[in-house]
Amino acid sequence: MYNARMRTHLGLVILCVLSAARVCSSTSAPESPRKFDCRSREKETFSCWWEPGSDGGLPTEYRLFYTQERLREVRECPDYVSAGANSCFFDKKHTSIWAEYTMTVVATNALGNASEEFRITDVMEYVKPDPPVNVTVVVNSSAPSPFLEIRWKSPPDVDVRTGWVTLKYELRVKQNDSKEWKTVDIGSETFFNFYNVYPGLLYMAQVRCKLDHGKWSEWSNTIFAEIPKNHQVEKYFWIFVFVFSLIPLLMGIYILLLKRNVVKQCLLPPVPGPKIKGLNAHLLKSGRSEDVVNALMGNQNFPPVAAWTEQVEDFLLVSDSDEWLLTDSFASEKKKDIFIIPAGLHLGLEIQCRDLSVDLNTWEKTDDSKEEAKSNFLNTEPINLPVEKHEFLNGEEMSIQPLANTSYVDIQQHPTLTDYSRVKEVNDNTILILNEEEIPHGLDAEEVKSEVSVPDDYSRVKEVNSDVVFLEKGDSTDGCCKKKEDHYTDWTNQKPIMPLESELSKGFCLKMIASGYVDSGPAFSVK
Amino acid sequence: MQTHTRTQHTHTHTHTFILLPCLLRPAPVVYLVAMCRAVPVNDLLDRASQRSDKMHSLSTLLTQEMDSHFPPYGRMQMPRPADCHTSALQTPNDKEQALQVSESDLMSLARSLLQAWVDPLAVLSTSAITLPHPSKSSISSKIQELQEHSKSLADGLDILSGKMGPSAQAISFLPYTGGTDLGQDRVTILNKFNFLLSCLRRDSHKIDSFLKVLRCRAAKLQPELC
Repeated sequence: MYNARMRTHLGLVILCVLSAARVCSSTSAPESPRKFDCRSREKETFSCWWEPGSDGGLPTEYRLFYTQERLREVRECPDYVSAGANSCFFDKKHTSIWAEYTMTVVATNALGNASEEFRITDVMEYVKPDPPVNVTVVVNSSAPSPFLEIRWKSPPDVDVRTGWVTLKYELRVKQNDSKEWKTVDIGSETFFNFYNVYPGLLYMAQVRCKLDHGKWSEWSNTIFAEIPKNHQVEKYFWIFVFVFSLIPLLMGIYILLLKRNVVKQCLLPPVPGPKIKGLNAHLLKSGRSEDVVNALMGNQNFPPVAAWTEQVEDFLLVSDSDEWLLTDSFASEKKKDIFIIPAGLHLGLEIQCRDLSVDLNTWEKTDDSKEEAKSNFLNTEPINLPVEKHEFLNGEEMSIQPLANTSYVDIQQHPTLTDYSRVKEVNDNTILILNEEEIPHGLDAEEVKSEVSVPDDYSRVKEVNSDVVFLEKGDSTDGCCKKKEDHYTDWTNQKPIMPLESELSKGFCLKMIASGYVDSGPAFSVK
Repeated sequence: MQTHTRTQHTHTHTHTFILLPCLLRPAPVVYLVAMCRAVPVNDLLDRASQRSDKMHSLSTLLTQEMDSHFPPYGRMQMPRPADCHTSALQTPNDKEQALQVSESDLMSLARSLLQAWVDPLAVLSTSAITLPHPSKSSISSKIQELQEHSKSLADGLDILSGKMGPSAQAISFLPYTGGTDLGQDRVTILNKFNFLLSCLRRDSHKIDSFLKVLRCRAAKLQPELC
């Protein structure tokens, strides 16, 4: 008896223990899923995910049932696969915007099930597009400063052509080593020119978008761009070169301006005007060369010395023109001796002349030199010369005055040279250098006499050069002449040259040989 | 007559569409050309959709502002969107449906929704001043701005619909039956406020979407407007 009861109790206890053990180690019904979330990428479809609870150790199946705001029926999720595990994908047919979804997720296993309800008020609350794609950055290096041309494309799923969806973008740019992003609201365009960049730096850019005032997408891939810095330095370099090359140029111009007088004298030396008073420039300009020569040298046939001596005493110039006459001022100025030795071709006398012009200061200077030269010449001259000279000197005072008055000649009144056979050379100054041939003295004298209406003063003029120096030519005093001429040349070479072209233009000028006004070089030819 | 009154509002209102009244009257064409500067429909639709976009943006900000300081008092306890006073209106709910609706119908839907919110906005505006919420001043200013935009948009759509035919001008009547008082206790008031704002957000988005579809359809030569 006792054994039977004991066995029954024991069996019950064992059963209880066993049953209890079975409950502890085995599975159970699943827990309800948690955390429900959805997402729509383009306002046309959406997906939802849930987080499953404990599955109770048994394989658990999850199912989703939903009802829409308008639909009375309960539908099951059309696609459990496309969106991954524990998800439900609602395609276009099953997606309704602005409609409330009531989702019920049921977890079922062998032991039971559990469900949870989730409410989606509006799919629009879960709209989050994909980030923009094909983000490109191009550095535009055009003037005045470089900038970034950033372009992108809308996410591939979003349909922007129908107006159903409105995308708005946002861009952010920062330097590679900086922490601050610069953000720009773009609107609906798919490009942007970012100007706040500096050469030599590396920049990174990102774009994101949002749909219809929904959630922002993730940032797109980062795009890098570096701004080249060459051209700016190059620009500055050329600016510096230009500025520094301008400085000496400006300085040169400034100096030139300061010293413009000096420059002017250098480049355009002043041409001295003719200073001889009483000379008729117009006549010289318009006159023929032969007239000039006649005016200066007289006829070719110079009168003999004797005739000249007579003439010396009586210095009367016969002329038709009134221009001959000189003013008193002219005569009264410097008492310069006028030595005119019309020796013709035979005589070897030199003719010393003095310029009556007062304007030239150099005349005054060489006055003394003239005296010296005169004395020198007198010393070296042949016998004839001093005699004549003496005579000349004697008659000097008497004759000076009238001679002074007649020191210039109206050239045009002079007869032309009839006989050019003796012209040896014509130099630039329209001076006929007559030949040195011997001419019968008397013949010449007569010829000269008859022909001469020119004052015999010039009959002995051998040559008139630019400086209006009379050089008498002749064979009798060749040696002397030569000496004289040599001396003359010596003199002229020693003395500084005074350009007196203007004198010739006005007329002629009788001046000292040794006065240094003679053009020492080619103006006269020394025979 | 009502149209005429609205036109005069257009003149005085600062945010109104820049349209001249002569466009409304069946004046002779010569008179129209001489006196008025006609604005093309594309431009009008663009302006309308910009206005509706602004409205939708404001309503979204409002809901976010409400939620930041006062979380919903439990989603289950909130009134359902089906309880919105405009939920009776049949509207397209996806892209295919929206693209199949005619322009006139789209315009009519937009206008009906807009008209339906005139009174509730007024209620919200008065309630916002005394709202037991920390950022009620900001909320109140946003609601006032919403009111202005709504009014000017309504005026503009009146003119636009006049160009589109009689079916565009038909407005479905959606009365607001919530009364002027949102409640007595704080919780009720806040809940109701929240609920109204969520309805407003949805409806403003509908208006915005319909007008943008209209704009894109009207501007076939200018795809950049879409």
